[in-house]
Amino acid sequence: MDAARGGLRVENLYKRFGRDIALDGVSFEIKPGEFFSLLGPSGCGKTTTLRIIGGLLTPDAGRVYLNDEDITFLPPEKRDINIVFQHYALFPHLTVFDNVAFGPRRQGWPEKRIKEEVGRLLEMVHLQGYEHKYPRELSGGEQQRVALIRALITRPQVLLLDEPLGALDLKIRQQLQLELINIQDAFHITFVYVTHDQSEALAMGDRIAVMNEGRILQIGDPRTIYENPVNRFVAYFIGNTNLLEGKVVEVQPGGLARVHIPGIGEMWGVCRHHCDQLRPGLSVAVSVRPEKINISRTPPDDPGYNTIAGMVQDIIYLGVSIEYIVRLEQGLTLRVFQQNLADDARQLITWDEIVWLYWLPAHALVLVE
Amino acid sequence: MTRRWRYLVSQYAALAANMLPPLIYLLIFFYIPMSILLVMSFWKSGYMTLTPAFTLENYKLFFSSPIYLRALANTVLIATGTMLALIVLSYPIAYYLARFSPRHERLLLFLIIIPVEINFLIRIFAWKIALGRNGIINSALMSLGLIDEPLQFLLYSKFAVALVLAHEWLPYVVIPLYLALKGIPQEVIDAARSLGANRWDVFWRIIVPLSVPGLFASFVLVYIPMLGEFAVPTLVGGPSGYMLGNVIESQFLSAGNWGLGSAIGFVLLTIILILVALVLKVAGLERLL
Repeated sequence: MDAARGGLRVENLYKRFGRDIALDGVSFEIKPGEFFSLLGPSGCGKTTTLRIIGGLLTPDAGRVYLNDEDITFLPPEKRDINIVFQHYALFPHLTVFDNVAFGPRRQGWPEKRIKEEVGRLLEMVHLQGYEHKYPRELSGGEQQRVALIRALITRPQVLLLDEPLGALDLKIRQQLQLELINIQDAFHITFVYVTHDQSEALAMGDRIAVMNEGRILQIGDPRTIYENPVNRFVAYFIGNTNLLEGKVVEVQPGGLARVHIPGIGEMWGVCRHHCDQLRPGLSVAVSVRPEKINISRTPPDDPGYNTIAGMVQDIIYLGVSIEYIVRLEQGLTLRVFQQNLADDARQLITWDEIVWLYWLPAHALVLVE
Repeated sequence: MTRRWRYLVSQYAALAANMLPPLIYLLIFFYIPMSILLVMSFWKSGYMTLTPAFTLENYKLFFSSPIYLRALANTVLIATGTMLALIVLSYPIAYYLARFSPRHERLLLFLIIIPVEINFLIRIFAWKIALGRNGIINSALMSLGLIDEPLQFLLYSKFAVALVLAHEWLPYVVIPLYLALKGIPQEVIDAARSLGANRWDVFWRIIVPLSVPGLFASFVLVYIPMLGEFAVPTLVGGPSGYMLGNVIESQFLSAGNWGLGSAIGFVLLTIILILVALVLKVAGLERLL
């Protein structure tokens, strides 16, 4: 197989629906064989982007390239791109076999080859013997597996997945996440995966594009997106965080900044994006992830930490971790995750206790935008 | 054990209580009269006489009479032709309304339904005026010089019956089709296209099969009553547009031969049941219901 097949590039996509701007200049490039996630809240334009790539919509402006070939106005049936939908979109009047055979028949495969290949793929997704069932006889997870192999059987260069696990229960969702990753590895097909579930995007994507209001805010691998969000929206949308609004007091070289936060006081943080704008007096947000905060009955010895005292207001027991909601002096609250190391001998921090919270400046991200 | 039994009894009692009123209604107004007619169809019968003695004479008479058989052939021909024409005519309308969701979707639907609200006698007489020898169609065509003398087939013909029936039943074909087409998820069509189906494939392999339940509803709603039609052929059919409904009506109302009328009625009913069974089978509807 040609290794360069399946490279996708979109340039400056614009799309309006009536008075609503759905896409406001979307550009990105996807490498062949990449698992690329489009992540954002509902209405952010991610599905519109997907439909334009699939040919189900045409953009008002902008271009779509597949392997450097302009496919912007090519109808969907002429694109070597298939789609998996949230609600499976199986053909209700056709059996599982005829559903999966739909694409190959349009391409004129001999029936013998279709029969072999459908059987092989059904086995791959653990649905052997389902050939003659109808979609309504299948569970949601089974239907989505059928939809997946129906889209894969013709080996398209790109597979678009529009919230494919959104309608499924948690357990099946997690299982199918793994299956999808394995299938993508096995088939080496470029995946464009639309989701509003940030944990899904983090778990599955090689790279993630975070979208909001028709624009792409940040593109990067999961770790970059999580650890170095470009602005308040990305920090808040991906994972959990404490966003503290304040004003810059002092700027040091290397992006280090001292920020005054009303109700907490001054703390040190690092800036990684738009840092040239940093100057004393600038309004910024400081993002501190709950799992980066230490919680203790005693203050830290190391003066390098940002340290603050508070009172435990709420405890949420999550099993894997314990979440504390700590009320600070002037009414602000901070969320803190602590790994669940509980055992009988150890006394856990409990309600109304006075605790010390401390974190490294490297974990306090100063966000300009 | 007794508790389970008592539970079942209470469940069935509730079910029976729910079903009883319609059952009684159907019994009094449908099953009992139908049974009486069925019995009468096997009685010796003549002008204004009916003797309770078993005979197959009424059925024999029907199947040996060329006039009655021609009426039967006319009936099937007119109803089938009108039904096919209605489907061909309604499909684009329903398709346009359902798949393109025009801005005035509701208004258009309303316009399609509104003729139903007009008294059907008024509608038929309006057609008579339009189709007659000196009607607007003939006079318009003549004054345009397209024809030299009035077209004869416009009124008192099979064509006239079919036309008026089609006008009468159009909404009942459009609406079920519209609902069936409206119920096809866009995602299913998108999926077909992304899998390589062109518009032709999408229409014939996805949209048409998925609109079969709507077609079947239209068929039951329209084809069956059309087979039993007698008012329209009486008024615009003339001798060549004579239908089985007219024969049945005349046996009951003017010939006074209730036995023969009942027998013909049951012949028609049998034909209808066979047709419905056939259509169900051909449409493979059990898969979709």
